[in-house]
Amino acid sequence: MALAVTAGAAQGAGPMPDSGVLDGGMRTQGFAQVLAPREFEFSRDHGPHPDFRQEWWYVTGNLDAATGERFGFELTFFRFALAPESERARRDESRWRTRQIYMAHFAITDVSRKRFRFSQKLSRAAAGLAGAQTPPLRVWIDDWSLGTVPAADDAHWSLRAAQSGYELTVDATALLAPVLNGDKGLSRKSSEPGSASYYYSIPRVAVRGRLVRDGQPLDVQGLAWVDREWGSGTLSKSEQGWDWFALQLKDGSTLMFYALRTRDGGRDPNSAGTWVSASGQSTALSNDDVQIDVEDYWTNPRGERYPSRWHLRVPKAGIDVGVRPVLPDQELTTLTRYWEGAVDVTEAGGNPNRGGRGYVELVGYAAQ
Amino acid sequence: MPTLWAASFRHLLRHPAQLALALVGLSLGVATIIAVDIATASSRRAFELSMEAVNGAATHQIIGGPQGIDERLYADLRTRDLQVGQLQPAFAPIVEGYVTVGDRTMQLVGVDPLASPELGAGRERHGALPVGIPHAGEAVEADGAQVADAGAHDRGRDGGQKARVEALRKWFTERGAVVMAARTAEQLGITVDRKFDVDVGGVRHPAVLIAQITNAGAAYDALILTDIAQAQEWLGSVGRLSQIDVRVPDGRAGEAVLARLRERLPPDVQLHEAQGRTRESLDMTGAFTTNLKAMSLLALLVSTLLIYGAISFAVVQRRRIIGILRALGATRYEVLLIVLTEAAALGVVGAALGLLLGLAIGRELLTLVSRTINDLYFVVAVNDTTLPVSSVVKALLGGLGTALAAALLPALEVAGSAPQLGLRRSVLEARAINIARRLITVSAILAASAGIVVLVSGRNLLAGFVALFMLLLSVAAITPAVLRGLARVAARVAGRVSPVARLAFGDIAASLSRTGVAVAALGMAVAAMIGVSIMVESFRESLRDWLSQTMRADIYVTAPGPGADRPERRIEPDVMRALLATPGVAAHSESRQVIVESPGGPVPLSALKLTAAGYSGLQWVAGDAAYAWPEFERGAVLISEPLAWRLQLKNGEQLKLSTASGVQGFRIAGIYREYGNDRGNVLMSLAQYRRLWHDEEITGMGVYLAPGAQPAPVIAALRAAARGRQALFIRSNADLRALSMSIFERTFVITRVLYWLAAGVAAVGLISALLAWELERSRELAIVRSLGLTPVGSAVLIAAQTAFMGLVALLAAIPAGLLTAIVLTDVINRRAFGWQIDLHLTSAQFTNALLLSVTAALVAGLYPAWRTATASIAGDIREE
Repeated sequence: MALAVTAGAAQGAGPMPDSGVLDGGMRTQGFAQVLAPREFEFSRDHGPHPDFRQEWWYVTGNLDAATGERFGFELTFFRFALAPESERARRDESRWRTRQIYMAHFAITDVSRKRFRFSQKLSRAAAGLAGAQTPPLRVWIDDWSLGTVPAADDAHWSLRAAQSGYELTVDATALLAPVLNGDKGLSRKSSEPGSASYYYSIPRVAVRGRLVRDGQPLDVQGLAWVDREWGSGTLSKSEQGWDWFALQLKDGSTLMFYALRTRDGGRDPNSAGTWVSASGQSTALSNDDVQIDVEDYWTNPRGERYPSRWHLRVPKAGIDVGVRPVLPDQELTTLTRYWEGAVDVTEAGGNPNRGGRGYVELVGYAAQ
Repeated sequence: MPTLWAASFRHLLRHPAQLALALVGLSLGVATIIAVDIATASSRRAFELSMEAVNGAATHQIIGGPQGIDERLYADLRTRDLQVGQLQPAFAPIVEGYVTVGDRTMQLVGVDPLASPELGAGRERHGALPVGIPHAGEAVEADGAQVADAGAHDRGRDGGQKARVEALRKWFTERGAVVMAARTAEQLGITVDRKFDVDVGGVRHPAVLIAQITNAGAAYDALILTDIAQAQEWLGSVGRLSQIDVRVPDGRAGEAVLARLRERLPPDVQLHEAQGRTRESLDMTGAFTTNLKAMSLLALLVSTLLIYGAISFAVVQRRRIIGILRALGATRYEVLLIVLTEAAALGVVGAALGLLLGLAIGRELLTLVSRTINDLYFVVAVNDTTLPVSSVVKALLGGLGTALAAALLPALEVAGSAPQLGLRRSVLEARAINIARRLITVSAILAASAGIVVLVSGRNLLAGFVALFMLLLSVAAITPAVLRGLARVAARVAGRVSPVARLAFGDIAASLSRTGVAVAALGMAVAAMIGVSIMVESFRESLRDWLSQTMRADIYVTAPGPGADRPERRIEPDVMRALLATPGVAAHSESRQVIVESPGGPVPLSALKLTAAGYSGLQWVAGDAAYAWPEFERGAVLISEPLAWRLQLKNGEQLKLSTASGVQGFRIAGIYREYGNDRGNVLMSLAQYRRLWHDEEITGMGVYLAPGAQPAPVIAALRAAARGRQALFIRSNADLRALSMSIFERTFVITRVLYWLAAGVAAVGLISALLAWELERSRELAIVRSLGLTPVGSAVLIAAQTAFMGLVALLAAIPAGLLTAIVLTDVINRRAFGWQIDLHLTSAQFTNALLLSVTAALVAGLYPAWRTATASIAGDIREE
């Protein structure tokens, strides 16, 4: 989901236009719009879609170190267009001229040390500093990157990012083909036209590599989740934010669901998700298919309250689980403030194979 | 005791004119020091602030050749892991140059607001850039409590958020978007969203102000901030960066990172400490500010002598009453205390007045100083005056110290004399004559020491000034003896004609304790004045000669703009072609003026393609044309005298310069005279420069006219050819020479102002001293008048006395002034700037001195003359 920046919690700030820092005052005219389903084609669609206003490459995952320690990681690249690309390049034009801005977030949840550390990069997509291209796929800002491993197929990626105390380098292999969410990949965010995105996920990605913590290398492996989304629209004025769940269960099935919250405390009927069985069969989930009860809360240092434990039921898929963060504070106080963290999934309904791990994203709780 | 103090107080009150003049002398001396401090400190501070604003929080900078750095290096540094673990340095690119907005020169600074927020920290704090971005943070859960959240620093993104978002969009998407200080925008009459023109080397570009910097003090006064892409396009440096700012951690870790970074850098760039650049730029003005300070010190020195004179008089006038008080039981200590207290009070009041006066003069002087700095060194906009605390302390201590030091001798003298002796002035005069004799020896020692200091101090500029001051003091020391000797001779000669004349001149010799010091102070000031004017005149003539020798072309064309060596000053290639096609142009020379790096710091370089006539333009200090020019065409360099002096290079040695492919040595084939640039200059053939620096631009050209063609119509045709494309600076040879001379005159305005101040101090001192003396003698004069001297006669007598003293001061000052001139040209100028000036004497230099000394002396005699002519004889004969 990861609309973090554009939709970034309109709380108290009035309509959506005020909320996003990089949304260019919400001038959506001139950009391509998400109005009808499209033909997806890979690896082309792993690459950028600059005609749309915003886009992201989004990887989260749970890692186990050889030492037995557990980690969560998030590495996300965002692309924003400040204005549609209209003018043609002039003669003698600087290579630094661009309307495309990239942002990246890298976060590590170090469970055994009870430490959550994040870092942000921002850059113009120019002069080789940041950008996205395909083929072969490469998305980067400075020395943080995500891309196809040279001479490998497009299901084989490598990721690299570093921040104070943590440097992560992993290879990632998709265990499933991309899953199209919503209506053949068109994912609605509200009832307003254009308030939608093209959205696909790769819910099961095996990762293996190295995490250097405070100068000490650790071999790590685990399971990651890739989300790709692009569009030009935003949430509607009545929407406040969302709770996004990406759960990977022991039996090999996965569940994605985003609950769009309205300002009056309810749930927008456009909330939706996808259940993918162990065999790779995907089933679209509507708002009515999923029942979520918040069982606990966490309050950040500024006194803002996030939900922190859930009871989640999807009768249609036979899912009845508890979801709880591995650390309560996994809030990123970056350009946009949001909570994005590793979670444990515990079986509540009696099926031991429905336990697992995952990532949850909570947007719209913190004042921007 | 109260009697003592009352006597002191009443005496001062009864002589208000004397008191006032002593105060004026001291205040002027202190004011000059303060004014120079304000002017130099303020321009220095303004420059440092704007450098800080440009450099942000960088610890180091990567800099390249005259054209800057290939921008690909920056992307390479950011995207490739330096293999230094978590110590990855922060990098930020800068593209900067000079532009003109209206009639104002500004520094254009192109930045990337998204690059390394920690480097632009200062800029963001001031709201200079539209983003303020938290970029990292941490949450640690310890004992269930929330601790440290490093990313949570100031996130006041509330009301101004919408405006900032809009500013960011404009910053990246609007052509010509710039940000500048609100104060500057107001001065230029520009408001937000208003369009205006930015002139870069004569080419105008449309710009729009998208936001203003409001709370940044003076740092941004001369800056225009824009996106790096915009700066590249305006400055014609697409693909190049002026510098890359670097921030590494402190200490050993930082050293290790720097070592790795150096390995990564290509040979055509260097890594420097960030402070180094500011220092280098400020060092350029070092000699200039030292000269200013020396001039202000001269003013204080002159005023010291004057205070001495004033206080001696105050003491001498009271010898009788002090003698009586001592006879009545006042101790020596009490007398000493009272005289020193008076002096201290005088010092404090004088210093305070001087401080106020200095503030006023300082503001005016600042305009002159910053204009000179802009003419010669770098662009700086000084809107705020800085008065360093140290200057205030210096002024107060200087005033107090000067007054106390000046009072100490007379105070000891009067306190030390026996009570009955205190009544007799003749004892004092006898002592003064003794001192005057001894001062002859002191003078000789000072003069000899000055010579020795010059000989042994090598290149030291400060020692040069020390020698100069010793020389001036030596003049002051010998003056009383000269005055006495001449007065006695005059008395003897004139006495044959008239007994009154003998009385007049004999009196000067007899009252040496009063006349000696005043004439010495005047003599010293006049000597300094003569010296400085000879130096300025010699310099002017040397420059004039040099210009007529060097400037061979008929018309000069250059890209306009500040900073002679800025790479953005270039003639557009298509304009160049149009110029060369203009009828009347027979031949042309081309030059490219840039700054290149050398191990000894940045060096100005002129790359030349000469015509046949151009080769005869240099005057050789070492080497000769027959050898040097062929070598020049083969790749050797020619260097100017100031550069040879500064870098201590000799003909035939190697000069190392950083080329596009690393440091390379160039043989020096000749050293030539130059007065155009005190940092010196390197000449190299244009072909060689282009090959080694990959820079095809042209800064200026010299046009040689076809036979029969006249400069004026060709200039008009050249202007027409460039019109609409580039506003070029096109001048005839004569006009350009005149312009160079006027810049020269401008730079010496400050010197002139300062020496007139010193002369003013001296004149005031002389007036005060003579006034006191003449008034004191009114009783004697009244006796002479009662014996038959007419009122007119007595007035003439006083005028003759003062005029004579003025002439003696001048007489002492002339040889001293010549010596001062020699020290100024051969020692001070040589050590400060490295050039040699031919001494050039004209009578005009002495006219000013004559005018000053005689006028001051005559004015000093006016009031006593008038008074003595009109006062009643009986009243004056009666004792006080």
